[in-house]
Amino acid sequence: MEITKTQHATATVLALSGRLDGLASPALEKEIDAVLAAGSKVLVLDLSALAYVSSAGLRVFLTAAKKSKTAGGRATFVALPAPIREVFELSGFLTVLDIRPDVAAAL
Amino acid sequence: MTTPATPSAHPHSPLSFVEEILLLALDDTTGALRPMPVMGLDYALAGALLADLALANRIDTDPQQLVVLDRAPTGDPLLDRALGQIATAPAPQSVSHWLGVFASERSTLERAALERLVARRILAQQEKKFLWVFGVRRYPTVDNQERVEVRTRLSALILGDELPDPRDAILISLLTASHLLARIFDDARYHARSERIATLARMDLVGREVAAAIDTLARVLRTATPVMGM
Repeated sequence: MEITKTQHATATVLALSGRLDGLASPALEKEIDAVLAAGSKVLVLDLSALAYVSSAGLRVFLTAAKKSKTAGGRATFVALPAPIREVFELSGFLTVLDIRPDVAAAL
Repeated sequence: MTTPATPSAHPHSPLSFVEEILLLALDDTTGALRPMPVMGLDYALAGALLADLALANRIDTDPQQLVVLDRAPTGDPLLDRALGQIATAPAPQSVSHWLGVFASERSTLERAALERLVARRILAQQEKKFLWVFGVRRYPTVDNQERVEVRTRLSALILGDELPDPRDAILISLLTASHLLARIFDDARYHARSERIATLARMDLVGREVAAAIDTLARVLRTATPVMGM
């Protein structure tokens, strides 16, 4: 999985591409922790190029959302491809996480 | 898992899911198992074992299959035996397959969890005679702090709107699947939060599969029950 970081005025966007499984999850978790430690209050996860997410990946998403909220900010998930949206729906994530159509809507 | 399980290495380490589920399945006062559906505890303990392996970063799951991420031993004999079984399977199998395998080893899981909870001085082991002949073993609570803490945490999560951390989401999912949650939180405040509980319970795949296994079994048993009075 590749992670591309873009810094905006008030938000940090992490664009994920490829497969987010148990082997890729620790790197993403580390990246998210670094973003939150740097004081970014708005974390945007762009999933438009994400092909797969496993249970380990979903746990990283849930942890990111919880940590962001605890830090007084938010984590927003944008541009979910159909297979990822299906996994989010199955897990109830569509109702508990902040989901928006694209990066612009999350900034 | 043919060899007996041994207690976990450190008595002050956090409880595993296997220990936590069994602790919550026991009545605080009597030490007896709370009423559960047929094979409810079997599947809940099997799910707890898989959840322990997942949070130890040894396995990963999706709706199709369970895969091994790392064969390195965790240091917990119970988990390492299960990991060995999964790792040496000829091909990756589904979560429901492994739930079936480990549910059939309920007595090993239950005995190991009880031994550990006694070693941690949370439970005591008590032998009693029934009709002066039959031995009955009970596990009354010695230290209820762990139960009180987890119930307080889960209660706040159910009654509030905070996001759960993955560990609590898994626990709620397993407790809901095995119908234990409704026994533990049995009053109007929680009944009014059934939608919230359902949302939290859906968040973990292993918990969803445990629920599916228990519900399927209940349906099969209902269908197979002969109609009386014919």
